[in-house]
Amino acid sequence: MPKKWDSVNNINKPNIERAAVSTGTPTVLSGIETGQQALLKFLGGMALAFLPFVLFVQDPYWLNIIAFTYLMGGLAAAWNIIGGFAGQFSLGHGVFFAIGAYVTARLYTLFDLSPWLTMLPAAIFAALLAVLISWPTFRLRGPFFAIATLAFNEVAFVIANHFDSLTGGPRGILIPFKASFGNMIFKERWQYALLMFVFVALVIGITVILRRSRLGYYLLAVREDEDAARAVGINVLGVKLQGMALSAALTSIGGTLFAMYLRYIDPPTLFTLPEVGVKFALLSLIGGIGTIAGPLLGAALIIPFENVLRAELANWLPGMNLAILGLLMVLAALFMKRGVVGAWGDLLLKLRRKGGAKE
Amino acid sequence: MTGELLAVSGVSKQFLGLRAVDNITLSVQKGEIVSIIGPNGAGKTTFFNLLSGQLAPTEGEVRLRGQQINRLAPHARAQLGMGRTFQIAKPLIALSTLENVMIGAFMRHRALATARDKAMGVLEKVGLAHHASRRAGDLTLSERRRLEVARALALEPEIVLLDEVMAGLNQSEVGQVIELLQGLHAGGQTFLIIEHNLKVVRAFSKRVVVLDRGRMIGEGTADQILSSPEVIKAYLGEGHQWTQS
Repeated sequence: MPKKWDSVNNINKPNIERAAVSTGTPTVLSGIETGQQALLKFLGGMALAFLPFVLFVQDPYWLNIIAFTYLMGGLAAAWNIIGGFAGQFSLGHGVFFAIGAYVTARLYTLFDLSPWLTMLPAAIFAALLAVLISWPTFRLRGPFFAIATLAFNEVAFVIANHFDSLTGGPRGILIPFKASFGNMIFKERWQYALLMFVFVALVIGITVILRRSRLGYYLLAVREDEDAARAVGINVLGVKLQGMALSAALTSIGGTLFAMYLRYIDPPTLFTLPEVGVKFALLSLIGGIGTIAGPLLGAALIIPFENVLRAELANWLPGMNLAILGLLMVLAALFMKRGVVGAWGDLLLKLRRKGGAKE
Repeated sequence: MTGELLAVSGVSKQFLGLRAVDNITLSVQKGEIVSIIGPNGAGKTTFFNLLSGQLAPTEGEVRLRGQQINRLAPHARAQLGMGRTFQIAKPLIALSTLENVMIGAFMRHRALATARDKAMGVLEKVGLAHHASRRAGDLTLSERRRLEVARALALEPEIVLLDEVMAGLNQSEVGQVIELLQGLHAGGQTFLIIEHNLKVVRAFSKRVVVLDRGRMIGEGTADQILSSPEVIKAYLGEGHQWTQS
C-alpha cells in the first residue's frame, strides 16, 4: 500500500513545509466573500434559475409549474430567514401567507384597490402580527416553539372559517378575471411566471444582503448558541423578532401573489399544513437549510416532481404520488442531513482531498 | 490609566437552602489582573454569572464603571464593556473562526469590512490567524479556548472575565495561554479570572481572591495566599501543607 506509506512519510518532512501548508495564502484566509463575489454569484444563480422560463415560455403546462416553483422557492427562502438563519423552526408561516392573500384579495374585491398598493401594507401588518405572536413564543426553545407556531396556524384556520364578512368563510373569495397590470391579473401564463421570478429574485437578493449584514450574523449567532450570543452583546429576543418580522413580511407578499395568480382563496388552500406552513420548511430542508440557494433548489426539485407525479399517477393509483414523495423525503432526511447544498459541498471537499492526495 | 472598573459590594446569591455566594466585596482597578480561586463548588462560577448577568444577586450591588448593573441583561453588560468566556467553551461551531470573532466585533463596528478587519487583528493577537477560515467546530480544545478569548476581546471590552480558560489544557498549552494573557495585560487589558489551579495563577496575577463555600476566605498576593492556613485548609484539609510550590 504505497499510498498509505506516503502519508506516513509526510509526517517526517521538515516542519517548514508543513507550516507553509497550514498557513495558506492570505486571500483564502479571510474565508468571506467580497461584495463583488457575492453579487456575481447571485446574478449567476438567478440567470440559471431564469433558464427554465426561457426554455418553456411557449408551454403553458410547464409555465404553470415553473411559476409555482419560483413562488414556493421565494416563500421557502423567506421562511429560511427565521427558520434557517436564526434556527427558529416556525410551522406557522401559513398565517402570514394568508394575511397577504386575504388583505389584498378582500380590498381588491370590495374597493377595487390595486394589489400593488395593498401588498406592502399587508406585509407590514403581517410583520407586526408576527412580532406580537412571537414575543411570548420565542421564550420557548426547539420543538416547543415549533408546536406553538403550529397552534397559531390552526387557530388562524378556525378564525378564517368563522369571520365570513372578512374572509368569505368556507366559501372563500373569488377574484373576478379583469386582466390589467394594475389589477395584477394577466392574460398570459408567462406574465405570471415572470412576476413570480421577480419575487424569488427579490427574496433571495434580500437574503444575500442579510447574510452579509450584522443582523444576518446575529441571527446565525442566536441559532448557534444563545448564551454565547448574549455574551457578545446580542439582544437575542430583539434579533429573533427582527428576523421574524422580515420573514413574515416577505411571506405575506408571496401570499398576495398566490391569491392573484389563483384568483380563488379559501381556508384549506391557505392553511393546509403540508401544502403551506410545513412545505416552506420542507423545501428549505431538502435544498439546504440556512443556506442562500437551498430553498430555491429544494423548490426546483420538489415542486415539478410533485406535479408530474400527481399527473402521471393519479389515474393509476390515487395517492401514490404522496407515498413516493414521502419516501423521497425520508431518504433525504437520512442521507442528506444538510440538504442538496450540504451534500454538494461535501462532494466538492472529497474531490479536492482526492486531488490533494495525488500530488 | 487608573480608576475602579468593577466594584462588587456585599453580593450574595441564595438558591433555596444554599447560599452559593455569601457577602462578597471586591474591587477591580483598570489594568489589573485579579484571580479568583477556590476548590470545586466554592461558588466561583455562580459569582461570575452574577457579574455577567446570567443571574441576579439576592443581595448586594455590582457596579461597572460606576453604573449599577444588578438587573442589567447580559447583552447590555457586554455593551457596557464587559466581555466573558465560558467554562465550557461555546464556539459557534457551524461558522468559521473568523466569523466567530466578527460576531463579537460587530458590537462596535456595524460594517462587515470593518468588523472583519478588527476580528482579523484580534485573531492575530491570540495566534489563531492561520485558522481564520476553518470551521470553529474543527478547532482543538486549546484553540477553542483561544477563540473564546478572541471573541470576548473583539468587543473591545473594559474588562474581560475568564472562566477557567486553562482547564483541560496540557502544560505547554497552559504556558501559551499564560503568555497570551501576559501580553494582553501589558497592553493594558483588565482581567478577572477564575482559576482552579493555584500555581497557574501565581504566574501572572498580582492579586488573588480565594473563595470557599461561597465566602471570601482570603485576598492578597499569590505567595501570601499559598501560605495562608485558611487556604491550605480549604484546599488540602486540616494539618497538611504544600509539598512543592
